Amino acid sequence: MLMSIILLILAAGVPYYLILEKNKKLNNEKIFLISSFLVFCAIVLSSFVDSQYSSLLVIISLLSAIFSVYKVTKTTNFYKFGYYLLFINAPFFMLFIREQGLLYSLSLLITLSGIYSIAKHYEKYYGSANYHGISGTTLATPYVGGFLTVYLITLALYPPFPNALFLLSSMIKEETTLLWYIVVVVLFFGNFMVAMRVMPKTVFGTPNSNLHYVDLTSKEKIMHFVIIIALLGLSIIGFKGTIA
Amino acid sequence: MEKIILLIPGIPLVIAFILIFVSKKEHIPKVSIMLSSMIALLGLYGTYYVITTDESIHGLGGLFVFNELSAILVPYVAILGLVIRKYATKYMWDEPGYKRFFILLNFIFSAIYMLVMSNNLVILALAWQLMSVSLYLLVSFNVASKSAVKNGSWTMLIHKGADLLFILAVILTYQTFGSVDLGHLSQTWLEMSKNPTDNPTIFVIGLLFLLAAMMKSAIVPFHIWLPYTSEAPTPVSALMHAGVVNVGGILLNKLAFLLLLTPAVLNIAFVIGLFTAIFASVLMLVVPDIKRSLGYSTAGQMGYMIMEVGLGAFSLAIYHLMVHGVFKATLFLESGGLIRYARHDPNIPQRLSYKLFWEEKTEHKSNKTFNLIALFTILPILIFIGVKMVLSEEFFEFNAAIVILAFGWLTGTQLFLSFFKVSRSDSIKVILALVSSFIIILFTYEFIGLALEHFIYGEHALLFYGAATLNVTMIMSMVALGAIMIIGWLFMYKQHFVGIPKNKMPKKTQWLFYKLLAKEAYVSDFFIKYIKIFKKG
Repeated sequence: MLMSIILLILAAGVPYYLILEKNKKLNNEKIFLISSFLVFCAIVLSSFVDSQYSSLLVIISLLSAIFSVYKVTKTTNFYKFGYYLLFINAPFFMLFIREQGLLYSLSLLITLSGIYSIAKHYEKYYGSANYHGISGTTLATPYVGGFLTVYLITLALYPPFPNALFLLSSMIKEETTLLWYIVVVVLFFGNFMVAMRVMPKTVFGTPNSNLHYVDLTSKEKIMHFVIIIALLGLSIIGFKGTIA
Repeated sequence: MEKIILLIPGIPLVIAFILIFVSKKEHIPKVSIMLSSMIALLGLYGTYYVITTDESIHGLGGLFVFNELSAILVPYVAILGLVIRKYATKYMWDEPGYKRFFILLNFIFSAIYMLVMSNNLVILALAWQLMSVSLYLLVSFNVASKSAVKNGSWTMLIHKGADLLFILAVILTYQTFGSVDLGHLSQTWLEMSKNPTDNPTIFVIGLLFLLAAMMKSAIVPFHIWLPYTSEAPTPVSALMHAGVVNVGGILLNKLAFLLLLTPAVLNIAFVIGLFTAIFASVLMLVVPDIKRSLGYSTAGQMGYMIMEVGLGAFSLAIYHLMVHGVFKATLFLESGGLIRYARHDPNIPQRLSYKLFWEEKTEHKSNKTFNLIALFTILPILIFIGVKMVLSEEFFEFNAAIVILAFGWLTGTQLFLSFFKVSRSDSIKVILALVSSFIIILFTYEFIGLALEHFIYGEHALLFYGAATLNVTMIMSMVALGAIMIIGWLFMYKQHFVGIPKNKMPKKTQWLFYKLLAKEAYVSDFFIKYIKIFKKG
């Protein structure tokens, strides 16, 4: 039970809203990095413990996830967007069988590392990681637009990317309950809404004539290619797991 | 050797990958068309193989199959795809994102082939979702247009709903039958249909699959995404209306043996399909935007297709989706030219509402109306009885044949009236047109439909009609048939031959009815008002 509560604290968003967001010394980037690190710790820790969690913990994490969906509608900052997504997915992490849950979380972290890189790019060339107003990247900076589209589609739980495949695999193999169905339905749409909301703001739209758009450098492109290859590698594992 | 055919879903992905590295714009369509021709050839070879050997091709760990259904649909999609690609070569030339367009086009074709050839529910679920996301990116292709992007979001929202229902249905199927292999499941379902049991879980599974199919096939009330995708590039519209929207019918055909166990689901499909066919077709007449009008026309045809499934005429639904697909793709590809023409000549095209209510026409009184109505309703019924004596008894044991023929006749009559542009004074021509259309419909639906039925389902075809029987007596069917014909005839007659309103103003009731239809029955307003999820995006 104690381990479950520790995992809940690490993986679900409640403590972050209560502590980290209240701390004025921490900026969004730091909160994002701390959150990712703690979720990673939760992944490692959970591989040593039993994956059965009490319904109460799942309900708490679900409520936290719903609150995160609400919070994410208020932000246009990539860092905040990133760590809210971690909390939105916490119930998946709590509910699903160990291996699938771990691989799902890993896929989520890798996808968010791509978002983090895009955020750094925005910060470098546009002054902040705020994506409001940086519209039309598909036309102005096709590589940024392309990579961002891939990450958002991954987060929206669409194949051929691994998040969708691990989710599908877990869904087919899990013992289902009413709570299970509620979590799946809420989060299936939660992730989708959150990811798709970003697209009209930055991927689509007319390029802003007041901005000097800069596309990815060769070094950045290679980094993003590596992230996508990692995602596709996980997809193969996810596909095999789903079919098996 | 024949196993190579199973690689078809992967070829468009290879084309998309190659296109990423093609730098010269002129080479993009060449690569795309050349390799797509290979798919068409492979598809045709596969069809030849299935017909000559009477065997399906299984492979890739049993995940894919090239069976009778694939033998019909794969060459159809491939040839249609070639035409669309060829058209897009020039049509999209000046658009920004030429390469992006061809890459996305190949992704969606890959998803369609995967869906048609899948022999596993997991693969089917993946293809089902891949198609959603590819469609979203294609509908929103004109990224600079706010309305295109917003309408793309609507499309995506409804398709995401369809994805969820589909996945839940797959989970329930696995939990109930312990397998996701479609071949194995079909055998199980067929065996179970011999000793039917009343299992609510099977009903829920069937209903979930039906709802998922309805959402992607734009059946009322999920039709709203289709008419509003008119900002998509014309080749995308053609593909969408001729291919993507048909996936509901394809899915229900792939799960035909499951639906044998759920007659109630078939009845639901019939009722909703019937309503959609009428509702969407009426809206089609009043919508002033040519592409949106075609959108409603497609929704109506999809209703017709689902209705056919609901009557147990599964193979007829396949025939319908193919014929409609070819027809609609041609219309869409031509609509681009028509719009350009209309921009140069403000009188073309005329709005139907203008024709109905305002256009001055010489009123021509006729006292033969009721005689004609009687002739046009009694004559087809007499032909029915005559044909019944010639054709197989089994065919007329089921209500399906009667209802389908009635609708077929209405469609044919509409086509003939439009085609010949007959007027009230040409009564003989009208009579000939209506009667000949009815005979053609009889031939088409009876002979082609039956041939397709034997090819796809063989000896099992009659089982579907048995499962789909609505328990309506023959007399009720005949009364319904008569009523449909009278209403249909009156509607078409009124539509084509309208006199001048006395004070040159439309009647109040007519006007209110028109207003309701012109506002698309306020369904879109409802969506805009209550579903604002993407508005703040």
